[in-house]
Amino acid sequence: MTWIAIRMLTGDRQKFYGLVFGIAFSTLLITQQLTIFVNLLNRGATAVHNIATVDVWVMDPVSRTQDVIYPMPSTALDQVRSVPGVAWAVPHLRANAAVRTPDGDLEGVTVVGVDDSTLIGLPPTMIAGTRDQLLLPNSVFVDGVGRTRLFAEDAEPIGARLELNDQRAVVRGIVDVDPSFTSQVVLYTRYSNALNYVPGTRNRLSFVLARAAPGVTPEELVRRIEAQTGLKARTRTDFAQDGVNFIIENTGIPINFGITVALGFIVGIAIVGLTFSLFIRDNIKQFGALKAIGVHNGKIRMMVAAQAGLVGLIGYGLGVLMATLFISIGGATSVDFKGFYTPWQIPLLTLLGVTLIILATGWLALRRVLKTEPAAVFR
Amino acid sequence: MALFRSRPSFSRNILPIVAVIGLAVAAFLIWRGLPDRQLEEPDETPARATGALANAPRVAGAGVVEPSSEVIDLGTALSGLVTAVLVRPGDYVSRGQPLFQVDDRDVRARLLEAEASIREASAAIAEARAAEAVAVRQLSLYRDIADPAAVSRSEVIRAEGDASVSRGRRQLAEAQLAAARASRNRARVELNRLVVTAPISGEILRIDVRPGEFVQAGQQGNSSTPYIQMGETRPLHVRIDIDEDEATRVALGSPAIVSPRGAADRQVRARFIRAEPQVVPKRSLTNSAAERVDVRVLQLIYELPRADGLFRVGQQVDAFIAARPAAVRREGSAQ
Repeated sequence: MTWIAIRMLTGDRQKFYGLVFGIAFSTLLITQQLTIFVNLLNRGATAVHNIATVDVWVMDPVSRTQDVIYPMPSTALDQVRSVPGVAWAVPHLRANAAVRTPDGDLEGVTVVGVDDSTLIGLPPTMIAGTRDQLLLPNSVFVDGVGRTRLFAEDAEPIGARLELNDQRAVVRGIVDVDPSFTSQVVLYTRYSNALNYVPGTRNRLSFVLARAAPGVTPEELVRRIEAQTGLKARTRTDFAQDGVNFIIENTGIPINFGITVALGFIVGIAIVGLTFSLFIRDNIKQFGALKAIGVHNGKIRMMVAAQAGLVGLIGYGLGVLMATLFISIGGATSVDFKGFYTPWQIPLLTLLGVTLIILATGWLALRRVLKTEPAAVFR
Repeated sequence: MALFRSRPSFSRNILPIVAVIGLAVAAFLIWRGLPDRQLEEPDETPARATGALANAPRVAGAGVVEPSSEVIDLGTALSGLVTAVLVRPGDYVSRGQPLFQVDDRDVRARLLEAEASIREASAAIAEARAAEAVAVRQLSLYRDIADPAAVSRSEVIRAEGDASVSRGRRQLAEAQLAAARASRNRARVELNRLVVTAPISGEILRIDVRPGEFVQAGQQGNSSTPYIQMGETRPLHVRIDIDEDEATRVALGSPAIVSPRGAADRQVRARFIRAEPQVVPKRSLTNSAAERVDVRVLQLIYELPRADGLFRVGQQVDAFIAARPAAVRREGSAQ
């Protein structure tokens, strides 16, 4: 009987492909837009995610995110080191500066100063160069954005000279990091160099990065640091969330993507709903005939469910495949999509959405079938 | 199997299979693309409190290694050209050892001059003494004559005058000798002062003077550097800055765990010497040229154990010192 339903469904090719296309398109739209939305929000936390070795960030009480910073006096580092439960702590500087490129252009950059001796704060993977080259004098590392933004396509960035705040800087490596929300060029250098590269203000220390001693949870450490030093401390995950929340609160991105996702949902319902009801109406005679030969409404429900399920499976499968391929290929080839990934929750959310679409349209279509008299065959 | 009873249909058979494979591929891509947000261990860690301080109240500070005598900036007492530098950086000198020599030709010439004057004065004395002896003998001759009519009164007066004049000439010549001796002594003292010597036993830390350069006595001005820096480096001391906020928590007198920058794993135990009585504005230890930090620091002096070149004068160190128990602090801050 299910087989008959399937044959019935695929018998009309146009409607069948219309249904599959509708589901696949809404799946693609919802999945892809949600994925880009989540990844764009995560751009607000890349500075936190790029440093994998620390679990607590300490900052001035008024600092909010990785880029909204009020610097602290340099003794804050010693204050944090004094807290029991801190295994170690390093200074970390993030500040904006202007750099003169080899071509003579001016480019705004984020200068990141990492600990002088241990280089903690430097992202773990390098595209070119080795980590210890940062120990050379006036040495800086650029990120992937800097590679494309500061240098011509065929220029060799390693060994190139930049000018920062009237100081010479030599590019000695390219680090592999996800770009920030604003896609600003990031220059990594040692803390003592960074102080020279960034025009002087009284206090310079942006963050103290701390690691909890074994047996102390980051949450407990945050509590201790805040109690003893009066500074603001955040765990790695909380601080990443702060960056994300800052984007949500201060940009129109959530509304924008919310509208697109809603459109995907509505388009899905419209296409699938219309096509499915048309399809059911066209086949009303067949359903009538089935009823005439004594098929129960329950069986008919099963048949419609099988039809809807098949359409849903094919449409959803193709849609999710297209969306993930889009993100994977985009992430591998484009700087703009670098670091994008599909969170596993999103396809499940889309599945829920698609199921809702199918249930709603199937229920609408079923109402007509269930009301059909067997006599409809003869009309 | 029911699905393949007849020729496989694209829409009925192949498309669902494609969809299922697509789902599997998508799941794989999603699984592979998930970012790694795990915490990692760094290759090298910075200074950390170890041992008893690891989980106890403590105070951290940064400091600079200095000689136990503090650094002595040596100048010169007299200006002049440098003719020889007698030590090298790193030499361990004893007290009074010559360090560098300022040009002494002028003083040596004056010494010769003074010696010539001494000889001249001596000759003048000898001459004056001879004249005096003649005059005295003449006078006594006249005096010994009993008959007053034998010698005229005026003769006697002239002889008396000759005697006193010649005595005066002798005294003058003697005074000239004394003056010449004094100027010879002065030249000898200056000759000594032209050799700059070590005020204490210690290590030569820095030499900024070379033969042929002109050294200036007295005020050197703000821009110029001292000619030689030295200090007692056995043992070394370390001056640790403690933030004034934390200063009240330090358990004064307890030892410190000290490690040099860049070798955080090589920690030594330093002995407490004293705390500076004055809380001073923090001196920049961050290498920034124009840092102005309005933080004040308490400076603690610790003695470093001998550690075979691990520490050098001027090196930055990280230090951990035990803090007073937390209960005491809470009581203190409540007041």
